[in-house]
Amino acid sequence: MNSLLRRVPSYSIISNNSLRKLCSTDAPDFNMENPFEKDKQQCILCKQNIQVDYKNVRLLSQFQSPYTGRIYGKHITGLCAKQQDKLEKEIVKAQSAGLMATYLKEPVFLQDPELFDVEKPLRPHRF
Amino acid sequence: MIHYELMLLLRVMPKTELKTVLKRTANMIFEKGGIIRKLENLGTRDMPYKTSVHGVVYNKASYFLYEFNVPPTSIDQLLDEYGRDIDIIRRRIYKKIEPEQFECTLDDELKPPPYRKDVLALVEQSKKGDKPKFKYNTGLDYYPFQK
Repeated sequence: MNSLLRRVPSYSIISNNSLRKLCSTDAPDFNMENPFEKDKQQCILCKQNIQVDYKNVRLLSQFQSPYTGRIYGKHITGLCAKQQDKLEKEIVKAQSAGLMATYLKEPVFLQDPELFDVEKPLRPHRF
Repeated sequence: MIHYELMLLLRVMPKTELKTVLKRTANMIFEKGGIIRKLENLGTRDMPYKTSVHGVVYNKASYFLYEFNVPPTSIDQLLDEYGRDIDIIRRRIYKKIEPEQFECTLDDELKPPPYRKDVLALVEQSKKGDKPKFKYNTGLDYYPFQK
């Protein structure tokens, strides 16, 4: 053991110390936030900051089934609970005011782009 | 005062007649002590579903939107008066919705159930109903009596 120590040159020990001092300033901060955390997911209406309105029938009809005119559920539309709730209320208002069809999607809106895939719901259908 | 929106579907008629109907409907609001903020013509088009009122079946209608302030007690009277007007096919009064800012909760909703805030709240609530457990306060980490 002594022979081993003797072989190690003294300047290497000094340099090691100075290196450690240098490193101490650059030590990792373990109290930092998780740098790998993913961005928070937002629903399409919140992301685009769209206010749902019963007069905006074109937007409302995009959340309506073209076959039955029924409103798609939260697990299909991918909206947050609050937006889905507002959307459903506005659709009922629009239908009551005679602005929007109830048993079908109006043919003028059939070519509108799809906001979500009906065949791929977030949770399985209950029927 | 509360901001209201009135959606009026009028039967299709010539301009002069339409003018008198609009004047009549607007005057009803004024008679109730209201103020009209906006009157918008949303066009004449086919209705999404046919409507039969006053013994006639209508497939087309002229859409008009009023924005107005009126005392809330007179809303029922207004609706009643519009209902008796034979030129009006359909009328609805809604409160005007104000833009509202809120946090999107989708990220939380997509988590597995034990991590969701609403599920955690339910678990907390269920614990409240549990019977209180008797504590022996013996300071021992085993049960000293015969079971």
